[in-house]
Formats: sequence, C-alpha cells, structure tokens
Amino acid sequence: METMITERFKKTVLKILKISDFDMDEDTQANQIPAWDSLNHANVIAALEDEYDIRLKNIEILNCHNMGDLHRLIDAKLERKKSK
Amino acid sequence: MKMSKTVWQYWEENAQHKPDADAIIHWIPGQEPYRWSFGSLLATAKKFSVVLKGSGITKNEVCALIIRHNPYFYPLYMGVSLLGAIPAVLAYPNPRLHPEKFRQGLEGMAQRSGLDWILTEAPLAGLLKPLLERERSTIKGTHLPLEQNFEDADISGFNVPTGINDTDPFLLQHSSGTTGLQKPVLLSHKAVTDHAEAYGEAIRQSENDKVVSWLPLYHDMGLIAAFHLPMIYGIPSIQIDPFDWVLMPELMIEAASKEKATLAWLPNFAYNLMADKIHDEDIAGFSLSGIRMLINSGEPVRKKSHERFIRKFAKTGLNPSALSTSYGMAETTFAVTQTCAGELSKEVKVNRQALAKGIVKPEPENENARICVSTGTLIRGCEIKIIDNQRNELPSGSMGELAIKSLSLFEGYRNYPEKTAEAMMGAWYLSGDLGFEMDGYYYIIGRKKDMIISAGKNIYPEDIEDAVGHVPGVIPGRVIAFGAESEEFGTELISVIAETITDDEQDKIKLKTNIVMAGMDIDVTISEIYLVPPRWLIKSSAGKPGRSTNKERIMNKEENIKWKL
Repeated sequence: METMITERFKKTVLKILKISDFDMDEDTQANQIPAWDSLNHANVIAALEDEYDIRLKNIEILNCHNMGDLHRLIDAKLERKKSK
Repeated sequence: MKMSKTVWQYWEENAQHKPDADAIIHWIPGQEPYRWSFGSLLATAKKFSVVLKGSGITKNEVCALIIRHNPYFYPLYMGVSLLGAIPAVLAYPNPRLHPEKFRQGLEGMAQRSGLDWILTEAPLAGLLKPLLERERSTIKGTHLPLEQNFEDADISGFNVPTGINDTDPFLLQHSSGTTGLQKPVLLSHKAVTDHAEAYGEAIRQSENDKVVSWLPLYHDMGLIAAFHLPMIYGIPSIQIDPFDWVLMPELMIEAASKEKATLAWLPNFAYNLMADKIHDEDIAGFSLSGIRMLINSGEPVRKKSHERFIRKFAKTGLNPSALSTSYGMAETTFAVTQTCAGELSKEVKVNRQALAKGIVKPEPENENARICVSTGTLIRGCEIKIIDNQRNELPSGSMGELAIKSLSLFEGYRNYPEKTAEAMMGAWYLSGDLGFEMDGYYYIIGRKKDMIISAGKNIYPEDIEDAVGHVPGVIPGRVIAFGAESEEFGTELISVIAETITDDEQDKIKLKTNIVMAGMDIDVTISEIYLVPPRWLIKSSAGKPGRSTNKERIMNKEENIKWKL
C-alpha cells in the first residue's frame, strides 16, 4: 500500500526525536516511534506546528490514533489556511 | 493499645453519612464526567465482591488489577478488598512495551509476591495466556470482571469477612523496575488509616477539600494521596486518565476549575510540562484560585520548575503560596514530611561543588549556589535521622542517607525477607535517599544508589543496561546507564554509554536506533547515546563498568567522544 506520510512530516518528527531513520506509515502509532514518549510528545507537536505554521489543538490530537490521522489533520488545517 | 478502624469502616461511614455526595468524579475529555457518590460506589463495590467470590477468589489471595481508565475500576478495586483479598494495581502495558518483557515482569512479580489472580480486560487476556500455561506459573487464573453481570448481584446479606482487624494486610504496591527487581510493599489497614489521620493534620484537610489528579493508581502518590485519602476523608476525587493528561495537560486545569478543586499532588516534571506546553488560549477563562495546595512530590523538587509554573498560571488566579512540597515513599504508605499549608517552601543556597562531595555549605550571597527546596517538616508519627555510610547518626546540616521511622511503616516486602532485612536498621527504614536537615526542615538531594528518577518514575539502570547489552553490535556487559539532569524537562533524562567495535558511520546510526528501540521494549526512553570504543569504560572495584566515574567523564567532557551520535 502506498504510504501518504510525506518526507517533510517524517523528517520533522524524526529530527526533534534525534532519530536518524525510522520507517513509518499511516498506521504507525506514536508509541511505536522511538523516543516518542510522554516527555517528548509536546515537543513533537510543537515542531510540526512550527514546520507547517499551523496550530494543533490537543483535543484534536487526542482523536488521532496514528500518523495517518495526524497527517490528515495537518493537511486539513493547511487546506483551510489556503482557502482563507 | 488503641485499635484503628479498618479502611472498610471509613467507606461504610461515608456511604451512610453522605450517600449522595460526590466520591469519584471520573473525567473523560469532551464528555460529562461519570460521578460516583459514596453510596453508589460502595454498593457497586459490594456487588463486585459478591461476583468475585462466586468466581472462586478468597480471603488473603492477591489480585492484580490491570485495567485502563474506567469508571468501574474504583468499585472493582474496593470490591476485591471487601472480599478480604489483597488488591495490587499494576500498570496496563504501554503498547511499546514488548509483550514478552511484560510477561516476564509479571511472572517475576507473581513468583515474588505470590500473585494469585489477574483481573483485567479482554484485550489483555490473550497476551497473558502463555504466562498462565507455563509450568511454573503461580497464577491461578484471569478474570474479566467488567464483562460479568455484576449489576444484578444480590448484596442484601453482604458482610465483610470476619476475623480481619486493623493490622491485617490491606493492599500491595509494587516499587518501580521492569523485571524481577520490583519489591512488593505490603500495607495494613492501620498503616493506611493512621497515615490518613496524621497526613490530614499536616495538610489541614477539611470537608471542603476536593482532589484533582491524573496520577496513575499503580503509583503510591496516585493510589494513596489521590484515592485512599479522599475515600477515608469523605471528600471527592477527580480522576483523569494519565494518558489523556500527557496529550492534553490542560485537562487538569479544566477539571480543577470546573469542579473547584483544592488539592493536587504532582511530580516535578509536571510543573515544567504544564508551564511550557499549555497554550494560553486553551486555559482562557479557567480559574485555579480555589487550589489551596499543589504538592510537589515523587522526585527532587526544582525551584525553577515552581517559578515557571507560577509565572504561567498567575493569570488563572493561582496563589503562589499554594505550591507546597512533600517527601514520601510507598514503604511509609506515602508522606514523611510536608510543608505547612499556605507557607512558602523554605529554601537554602549551598555551594554546588561542596554539595557534590556531600558537604552542605550554605552560601546565601553566592549567585551560582545551588538552591535546595525543602520538602517541609516531619508529619506526626514520623522521625528521620541522617546517617553516614557506617550508619552513624550525623548532626544537623550534614548530608547523608535518610533513615525513617513512621507510624505507617509497611509490613515488609511480601515473601522477600532478605530484602526487608536489607532495608531495615532495627525499626528504621533505610530510604536510600540522600539529603540533609536544617532548622527542622528536610532537603532531598538525590539517591544513594544509582536509581534514575525520570518523570516521577523510579528506573533501575540495571534494567536498561541489560536491555541495551543484548543489542547486536554492543559489547555485552560493557554498557552503563545513568540519569542526567534536564532543566528543560525538570527531571532526569536517561543516557547510555555503550562500547562497540563498530566504526562504520552508517552502522553506528543503525546501532543508535536499535539501542533506542531496546529501551522502548522495556518502556524506557533513552535520550542520549554515547558509543565508545572497546575498553573505554573504566571498571569499578567490583569489576563492572562504574556508573558514576564514567558518567563524570562524559558530563565533564573530560574525554573527546568522537562517537557520540
């Protein structure tokens, strides 16, 4: 299955976690990604917000079950921003 | 001798005197909370008790509860106890924890504590099956009580078991550690009720108090401070899922504001996380003006964490003097020292270099001095003496190990007499914590041994070294793990130094990822990895790589580590 996780997304996540490489796809859950733990979670979200210049609300993130959901949330925010 | 009441008697009295008052407010993000009154909670607990008895669970058997945030957890836990069985709350496995590691940990714990039954949820039953089928397994079986029809259970003739008095075992808590290193702490009814009484005086507990907590209930601070104390005092406790809180730390502010909470306990890292990671817009309109005590406990207190928190939440009406501190552990039921309600925690500035050598040298005018925050004074029924390595008592103002006497001291580690003997010096419990006393106030500096305290969790370096030592490419037995202070996170982060013969850059990148993954398998995040050549690690007198010496070489940058990734 073709993955929709972009290199930009993956690089942003792995860079903040100081991980050189890790394969992730839509179904990958945060707790499967090395070093993505309770202390680092907020830093990962902040890095994604900076990279895409968007604001992710925690209640929205709570409803994301995997990287695919998180990526789709970012895409939707970017779409909304573009249409404004 | 004065007889204490059993915990059950408190539950019964609260259910009789305030049957409709809020007991547990089970918080669910974006939904109305589930509310248990003291009456409905105890009635449902009795129903569970009847059902569990029918399932073959009997008095004095140890029941592990491995259940996620669920409104029926609380009456189930109480139901186990009302049966005369001994409840032990265990952490539901994080998906990152390797299933075999989870089973090994549980098996080690079962053999040590004499775990009889596991009460859990359906998704975990399959994972546990291989464990139950093992020949040496001491576990009699698993039950899925939340799936049983407990609502229809007849409790008309319900009675708690006879022949149980206040000194009998009430609950079992397990100290941290991932494999066979957990120590089962057994507490009696008396330990819990005596502690509730003495600690209630220290915090000036009143019937208007209301607790808010996201602390896991497998941790002593969560179980004792945020569950048992309110259930004994007859005050409400708002319970937030720890996993939800990590994703949405503002939940605690929302719950505290909406429910007008007055009391909370937090480990130090939570002050940093909440101060740094909550957006102002997410707490707009919320008030913390009702909070009268926010008690920092569970790991050494950092002044900067308090300062950040006060700055962040000043706009919510938080009273800065609500920030309190406490020191305690599972072996003493919970607290040993506590700051007075409404009084700012005392601080003392000491010379950093001298402190590192174990000498307390106050330097009030030195701007580079280390600021030590006190954890308050002794609560009633507790004594502390500071001792040296030969167990001689030291004078006030000297740094040493804290030996503790408490009216709510544990009954020993269950089935572990040699460990109990090791931890005791007559009636004194040897805490393994280092600190000092000054003018009646106690200051905790760190651990005597190498235990890492990260995000309120005690982690044994041996567990990490064992996991990393098995990673292909790492020389077995040539690994050390240690905690390094992080100002950003307000806690210790985990570092590893590992010897390897690998010198290819790409191989080292892969090796680093594999080391992080090995940490994940035991639910530990390794933040820094230093790969060093063979024979780099200096051995201690015991012939093993010494943690403190090698940590110092890395942290003081005494060596040019070219292989750090």
